[in-house]
Amino acid sequence: MATLVGRVPRPAALPAIRALSARGARLGRPALWLVIVLLILAPSACFLVLAFSPRLFSQGSQWFTLTFFRQVLTGTTAVALLNSVWVSLAAAAIGVVVGFPIAWLTHRTDLPARRLVAGAMWFVLLLPSWLPAIGWQRLVQPDGVMYRVGLDWPWVTHLVMGPFGVVLLLGLRAVPFSYLAVSAALTGLGQEFEDAARVHGAGRLGALRLVAPILAPAITSSIAIGFAESVSDFGVASTLAYASHFPLATYQLYEYIGGFPPNFPGAAAIGWLLVASVAVPLAIQARALRGRSYAVLSGRTRPVVRRQLTRPAKAAALGFVGLFYTAALGVPGFGAVSSSLLADFGASLKLTFTNYDQVFRSSGLAGPLERSLVYGAITASLTVVGGFVFAKMLAGARSASTRMLDFLLLAAVALPSVVFAAGYIFAYNLPALSAVGINLYQTVTLLVIGYVASSLPTNARVLVGAVSQVQRSLHEAARAHGSGSLRAWFRAVFPVLSKPLTMAWLLTFCGILLELPISSLLYAPGSPPLSVAIQDNLGNYHFGTGMAQAVVAVGFALVAVAVVLGGYRLLAPKGWRRLGGWTRG
Amino acid sequence: MPRTHHRARTRARIASAGAAATTLGGLAAAMVAGGAVAGASAHTKAHAAVVPLVVYSAQGYDKLVTQDFSKRYRIPVQLDDNSTGPLVTQIEASKNNPKWGLLWVDGPTVFAALDTQHMLVRGWEPKAPWNSLGIQSLPKDQSYIPISVTLAGAMAYNYAKVPNPPSTWQQLLSAKWKGQVGTNDPTQSGPTYPFIAGMMNELGGVKQGEAYFSKLKANGLVINPTNGPTLAALASGQINIALVQSSAAVGATFNDKAIRVKYLNPVTMLPGVIGIDVKAPAAEQAEAKLFVQYVLSPAGQKVMQFGDPTGDSLFYPVVKGVAPRKALPPLTGVKTQTIDPYKWGNLENSVNTWFEQNIIQ
Repeated sequence: MATLVGRVPRPAALPAIRALSARGARLGRPALWLVIVLLILAPSACFLVLAFSPRLFSQGSQWFTLTFFRQVLTGTTAVALLNSVWVSLAAAAIGVVVGFPIAWLTHRTDLPARRLVAGAMWFVLLLPSWLPAIGWQRLVQPDGVMYRVGLDWPWVTHLVMGPFGVVLLLGLRAVPFSYLAVSAALTGLGQEFEDAARVHGAGRLGALRLVAPILAPAITSSIAIGFAESVSDFGVASTLAYASHFPLATYQLYEYIGGFPPNFPGAAAIGWLLVASVAVPLAIQARALRGRSYAVLSGRTRPVVRRQLTRPAKAAALGFVGLFYTAALGVPGFGAVSSSLLADFGASLKLTFTNYDQVFRSSGLAGPLERSLVYGAITASLTVVGGFVFAKMLAGARSASTRMLDFLLLAAVALPSVVFAAGYIFAYNLPALSAVGINLYQTVTLLVIGYVASSLPTNARVLVGAVSQVQRSLHEAARAHGSGSLRAWFRAVFPVLSKPLTMAWLLTFCGILLELPISSLLYAPGSPPLSVAIQDNLGNYHFGTGMAQAVVAVGFALVAVAVVLGGYRLLAPKGWRRLGGWTRG
Repeated sequence: MPRTHHRARTRARIASAGAAATTLGGLAAAMVAGGAVAGASAHTKAHAAVVPLVVYSAQGYDKLVTQDFSKRYRIPVQLDDNSTGPLVTQIEASKNNPKWGLLWVDGPTVFAALDTQHMLVRGWEPKAPWNSLGIQSLPKDQSYIPISVTLAGAMAYNYAKVPNPPSTWQQLLSAKWKGQVGTNDPTQSGPTYPFIAGMMNELGGVKQGEAYFSKLKANGLVINPTNGPTLAALASGQINIALVQSSAAVGATFNDKAIRVKYLNPVTMLPGVIGIDVKAPAAEQAEAKLFVQYVLSPAGQKVMQFGDPTGDSLFYPVVKGVAPRKALPPLTGVKTQTIDPYKWGNLENSVNTWFEQNIIQ
């Protein structure tokens, strides 16, 4: 404190600082909107405009047409769009129904192995969605492992390889988002609210009834992000859903782009409808949050007391958590590892390390892995800064500007990455840009910009729950004690948010490590990222080697997660960790 | 390294590159005349005007081939190694301002479509010692160049379970093979459309082909997305006959000794093809032509044959003097057919849509 007091600015300097700060705020917002326009709006618009005007980018003869909307609103594509909407709503609901209890159990109870539970959630998050889908498929498909071990259960095959399986897998995918959002909110929610309810005679259920609405921003944010992530998912759509003859919109969009010749205008029309679909969760969110404030995290927030679970309750809780991890990690882990250990397309159960041997002997792996690690670190660092700024804007007073930002960010999550990637080619490979010496297409710069643009919306949505809980009083208190604006933020607000920001960094890093659609279309020739190298093997009959590469890559991602979290634990001041963990007992 | 490729700068460069192009052309001619790869010393004059050659390729051996080419001729190559789908997406999305120099993928239908849009260099053909497969694969307008040949719809079968496999396409429709035959989804697997188109071509047209595949479906045809899963289904016993690309089928015999390969008459040729970007700078076009000469030379063919020994290296050469790898079944007695890529390329979307809605669903 003495140090702080000793650095109080001289009174004469205060108006100047305030003026500078106000000017920064005035300039900051247009600058942020410029970033949004350049990174998200322009590429998306360049792609989406093709649905009306294919001639603009030499993709057809019409300057204006609605033909492509008519095309996608009929037949299989229309069915796929409807499927995508209801499946995504169901998946978002599963995400909350499973993610909320697990977050509560790990943060508010003495659940055994809760650190392991929290750590494993990262594992779920960093798996590309196609991996669990393939794992489940290998288990239940006709002549799959289930049948080979003597379990002749065709009803399981029909159940998993159909709408139920698709909803289940997308729902499992949505769980980590809910878990993270609710965890961040629970971290900031002190004990005083539960204590108040209990003091006034409320039982455990009553206390929960009081606390749950305070978590509304996190819950609605979970639903919104779960929906948007599901509706834009391609991994499940192209594996389990495809194999089950259950069409989803992202797969149809991919077929339009990947077909020959590519039908960009048709794909753009699907893109419009996917963007429009995010109105559903946004409406839910707006209705839930209208006119309320959820800022509960202040300097007076009290540490929580972990609830002691009874033995039966512990058993039930562990069973619930165990079931989730078996479905989300056990089965896909089996699928990926078994595929990588079988050298003969899985004809026998003979295990071999041939594929791993090839991966480690091949000189082609080190470069892509190294590149993706660097790209992931750069992207995550840029994205966390941007994500925080956008989350802060979203958490501020609701205005037309923030509502627009909210919609744009969620719409961007709902747009499949391949749309972004193709949009970047249209927007940043214009002959006019080349004429003035700007040649960004097929450079690492544009690839990283594409990564940032695709990660930013999810990152901001994940952070908004935690940021919305930080009361202005924290910052103001530090200012009152003489810190400058930036210093006050770093001393008072950053410690509270350091854990969510670290988690958001890891989320982006892991996502970029195995990102495929943007990497595939935008990478600089001669410098393939990891996912392109893996896809190259999977596409060139070296299925086992590709799977081994994927397993090794996931292993590296896990190491990175361990290093970052371990580093945080070792390097962050004790107070930060206490705020990050914010539990007692 | 960012590639400076825009037209304004290119125009200035083209003039200086003209001489280089001539030199490179001369070098290519010298290579052919000599029947061997020319030495690096002959290339020294061209070195001053060298520009990076951007190669878009889906071939399994492309990395080694481009490295060897680069080393021999001191021409830097930027390789975009990807599946055919993303490569074509990139080309179509960037056609106002293309960045590629040459495209190298299996199947001429893609090139026919690009040629129809006037996106390929026409009227150039390397002076290669073509064999009969090469001659059959050459386009009339010389807009693309065949480099290798694989076969679409090769029959891989489990010899342990099927010692006497079918010997005609019609036999596959009999009750004996009910539920035992599998192939790929043409919307996911590039080599599958040429197989379907080849069957339609052989049977007399689209309608006849649709009738054949409808009967095959009624007989329990199993569809998997691509070669890998279809061969996995064969290996696991879910099916006993897989109709896939010949290189994948022969590659599978290395992994599973019970798998054998047979070609039913007629089998459709699927050439591996190179096309050159008509908008590429003259110097880069010249390098692309040199690259074509190189891959057709014994040195290039050798790298191709050993670059991906259980995958794309399992091709039939299109030039005389190069023998196919020993694992490949001989083509003696096998009737091969070539489909018109311009006709069948135009039908690709409609045929695939029909297949998806009537055979896969």
